[in-house]
Amino acid sequence: MTTPLRKSFYVGIAGLSIVGSAAGCAPSSAAPSQPTQPTPAGSAATSHSGSGSTSGSTYKDGTYSADGNYTSPNGQETVGVQLTLTGGKVSAVNITTHPTNPNTKKFQGEFASGIAAQVVGKDIDSLNVSKVAGSSLTSGGFNDAVQKIKSEAK
Amino acid sequence: MPHPGWSAFSFEGIGTHWEISTPQVLGADIRQQLRGEVDKYDKTYSRFRADSLVASLSQRPGTITLPEHAVGLRNLYSRLYWLTGGAMTPLIGASLERLGYDPEYSLRPSGGPLPPPPWEDVLAWDGTSLTAKEPLVFDIGAAGKGQLVDLLGGLLVSAGFSDFLVDASGDMLHSGRHPVTIALEHPYNPKQAIGTVVLDNSALCASANNRRAWGDGLHHVLDGTTGQPIQTTVATWTMAASTMEADALATALFMVEPTVLEEHFAFSWLRVSSGGAATFSSAFEGRLFT
Repeated sequence: MTTPLRKSFYVGIAGLSIVGSAAGCAPSSAAPSQPTQPTPAGSAATSHSGSGSTSGSTYKDGTYSADGNYTSPNGQETVGVQLTLTGGKVSAVNITTHPTNPNTKKFQGEFASGIAAQVVGKDIDSLNVSKVAGSSLTSGGFNDAVQKIKSEAK
Repeated sequence: MPHPGWSAFSFEGIGTHWEISTPQVLGADIRQQLRGEVDKYDKTYSRFRADSLVASLSQRPGTITLPEHAVGLRNLYSRLYWLTGGAMTPLIGASLERLGYDPEYSLRPSGGPLPPPPWEDVLAWDGTSLTAKEPLVFDIGAAGKGQLVDLLGGLLVSAGFSDFLVDASGDMLHSGRHPVTIALEHPYNPKQAIGTVVLDNSALCASANNRRAWGDGLHHVLDGTTGQPIQTTVATWTMAASTMEADALATALFMVEPTVLEEHFAFSWLRVSSGGAATFSSAFEGRLFT
């Protein structure tokens, strides 16, 4: 059961509305699946507590917690994520770290402190820029192949 | 177009879109030179075309002679191979193909993740001479595009152009008196940015695992010690004097801590983890939306 963890990872970085990120997969049409699950073999233990009021989205308000495993360069590690949903949006994020490997401790420490200065997205159209640097746009062949697989998967 | 009134020369090459912006329109001569350089690079290094120079090595062992600029590429790869403990390797191609990122774009894994063979076991790369001791997939994808950007920049300078921006779909080199503001694409939403930077006589490269992704947990940034896609970092940006270095370091940041690389390279960096935290060096300070 990894879904709640994935949600938290989405909203954690993006400040996107939960409705938006729940609509399916990555906004990029080239990505057929969520790009960010902690690990293909990962697992998550989740719990949920909250008022249970719905807000028109498929997600109930409340506080969600999940422990996720991921494979770090130091081996299997666990990170705890707690997020609070209010009106379908994330109102609070908490990261708890419990690294098993001492080398990971430092890394996860940065991870937890960095979350407070969470980056958020702004519409590029609203910025006075003419150039964008991100994941490189891919060739037609790659995108075509992804589309093919998507249609076959339906 | 980075500035009003500039003109742009656009074309497709090495599987990506290129846009070269200059204050004046580029003449037919220089345009032909630029296209020719891109075609030559593709014909040398592409693992996606059967007639490339390196493709012959996937059929049988042998020695090939690379262009002169392979010396710089070799030195960079060799340093990063060592610094990343083998995670960043020019032999990653076989692992990518194993997971479906092959010349046919089958995008279907033919088995579980497979680490590539160690460099020292199968490859002798000395300057421009490259010997494969066994059939292998040679892939310089982590730095090649950056090097090609530098090569095109060099052609422009030689032809007398001092103001330009070479943009290979997000990996870019700026030169001249007119700095360019560039948005940093949101890793999960290409319509959004997480910040902007000003590029002023420097190179900027980005690496992210969201676009070249084709399945559950499958994307193109692999760990050369395991052959598995890396999941802890989702996007990186780097700025350096050379685009080749910036390109390679953007990939290396997926594999090692920035401090390790900072000891050996002069560059600026921004890294976004899968958990959403952004960490960065001082050049990115105050440039991110928080």
